[in-house]
Amino acid sequence: MRIGIPEGLLFHRYERFIRCFFDRLGVDVIYSGKTNRKILEEGIKSCVDEACLPIKVFHGHVSKLRKECDKIAVLRLMKCEYGESICPKFCGLPELVKSGTGEDNLVFTGPLYLNDKNKAKKAFIRDAKLLGISAYKTSRAFEFAFKELYVNKQREELDNRIVIALLGHPYNTKDSFINMNLKDKLKNMDIGIVTEEDVPEDYKLKQQIGLLKKPYWLFLRDNYGAASYLSEEKRIDGIIYLSSFSCGTDSITIELIRNKVKDLPILVLKLDEHTGEAGFNTRIEAFIELLERRKMREDYLS
Amino acid sequence: MRITYPRLGDAHIYGRLLFQEIGMELVIPDHNSQIGLERGSSISPEDICLPFKLMVDNLISAWEKGADTVIMPATMGPCRLGEYGEVLKVVLDRHGYKYNWILLDSISAIGLPNLKKRLVSIVEDSNCSRAEIVRALKGVYTVIKEFEKLEKKARLYSGYEKQAGKSKEIVKKCRRGLARTTSINMALKILEKGHNSIESLELDQLKEPIKIILTGEIFTCIDSFSNHNIEEKLMDMGVSFEKTISIGWWLDNTVINPLGGYFSNKRFNEYIPYRIGGYAKETVSGIYRFNKANFDGIIQILPVGCMPEIVAKSVFDGLSRDENLPVLSIVFDEMVGEAGYVTRIEAFIDMLMRRKNLNLYKGRKCYI
Repeated sequence: MRIGIPEGLLFHRYERFIRCFFDRLGVDVIYSGKTNRKILEEGIKSCVDEACLPIKVFHGHVSKLRKECDKIAVLRLMKCEYGESICPKFCGLPELVKSGTGEDNLVFTGPLYLNDKNKAKKAFIRDAKLLGISAYKTSRAFEFAFKELYVNKQREELDNRIVIALLGHPYNTKDSFINMNLKDKLKNMDIGIVTEEDVPEDYKLKQQIGLLKKPYWLFLRDNYGAASYLSEEKRIDGIIYLSSFSCGTDSITIELIRNKVKDLPILVLKLDEHTGEAGFNTRIEAFIELLERRKMREDYLS
Repeated sequence: MRITYPRLGDAHIYGRLLFQEIGMELVIPDHNSQIGLERGSSISPEDICLPFKLMVDNLISAWEKGADTVIMPATMGPCRLGEYGEVLKVVLDRHGYKYNWILLDSISAIGLPNLKKRLVSIVEDSNCSRAEIVRALKGVYTVIKEFEKLEKKARLYSGYEKQAGKSKEIVKKCRRGLARTTSINMALKILEKGHNSIESLELDQLKEPIKIILTGEIFTCIDSFSNHNIEEKLMDMGVSFEKTISIGWWLDNTVINPLGGYFSNKRFNEYIPYRIGGYAKETVSGIYRFNKANFDGIIQILPVGCMPEIVAKSVFDGLSRDENLPVLSIVFDEMVGEAGYVTRIEAFIDMLMRRKNLNLYKGRKCYI
């Protein structure tokens, strides 16, 4: 039996966890690989029209795997490791994929609450049992993988003249096909990049003070916390926010960030399946030029 | 303290009754209109859903009328409604409308004592005792339930009535009366009159009208401006229909029975097994009602970009492709081109009629 794992959506955030878990399960696992033009086109064909670009790309990954595997793992993530929820589409992801692509052999579709270790373990064991994998094996694999969830990334020191914060959902910022190699482009312009992963968890938590209500979305908490912390520490010169067209959570996140950072320049890049690269480049170049001029004036004044 | 809250269908009628009964004043925002919507969207964040833009305009117009405190319900669900209060505050503060906010959050977020404190702070200006307030609440709840019963009958009878448009008229008259009454007792009298007149309607029992389930996102279902008066349009077409979602239903599920969400999560539903926020699961469970009673079709309405309903729409799409379920999903946005919506609804009703007639005369199942 072969299990396929689509490399879309939160795979980018939980890559280490997923790889660690499935490699230890002792089953044949296939990853769908990097996103490409063909996957995107397949996805657009099979997905409901109103969904956003990353969901469409995910459909494409599933369609690709259909030909190669018997079962496809589509995780239903209800709560993340710190207790936040995500967009409702993630909670209904198996249903979306099932009715979109017509694929019936979805596995690991039980609701996952990663903030509750025992609950998550039980959900994995239950789902694995349906495939004939013993509870002992699953729980060992889970124990190994669970440690990977809370590993903090090493921070690198940046010595670039201009540093920007690249914010957005991990599946937009990390998938180099969707964002058209944005990171490489910025690196070629000699721009330092900070992402929300570079900001430690407790700093993000501190930034929530002053809000009317505790935010409950993962992406809102991460990006708002990071933007607010980085701008207070004056570590960045500007923010590039990568967002997908008609993203529900971003409409609120961006507004809150704008309100918090006041006059720090923000460039919001909307991604959809029609985004032309030329227009994209022009906007980035213009933004970087603006930052450079600001920097020059600051140097001159001080 | 002058209280207001954003419009939600007939909620301001009920709210006015309640506040009048306990001797307080409620500032009612202007009717939703195209001009208002444009004013609302001009300062809203981009990509936000339609209800938010309407609410911004409501709160601006209430501010102009002298309101200074907003009551806003919030949830911890993954739907955007939970963050509405926060963003409304940010947007309105920036433009100089500095309201006081009373966020009625869910118990899981702020705890029961905190919620109680906030509820008490709403009625602190009232001279009534607690018992009187509870009595007023009960009275308003009865009004809501009775009015919804009346509406339900009207929706059902609109397909059978001999004189077209009668049932619609009765509901409209009743609503006008309720908006003007000064006490709950008078409201109940008006409702009784309404019930009497709708029961005495002349019905043609031989008619076989198209029967539809109207379901979808809660705000669009309840607020008639944002769904372009779809209910009256359906009534005019002589369709008899059932609406699954209403204010009374919401009250029953969240306030009267706080465990409503828990039970709903446990209820069996093979299409969406778990609650995913919003009311997507409840929308899809319309299919069970459809299969059980003799219905002809389902109409799902949602505002553009609504996250949970997209999942429901995807499920409906799959079913209509694989199992021939007649579903029409209508996505509403700020555009007011009403002709387009009407054409689609008419075409859908025509299709259902053809399908029904073929089924009746040929005696076998027809697939269109």
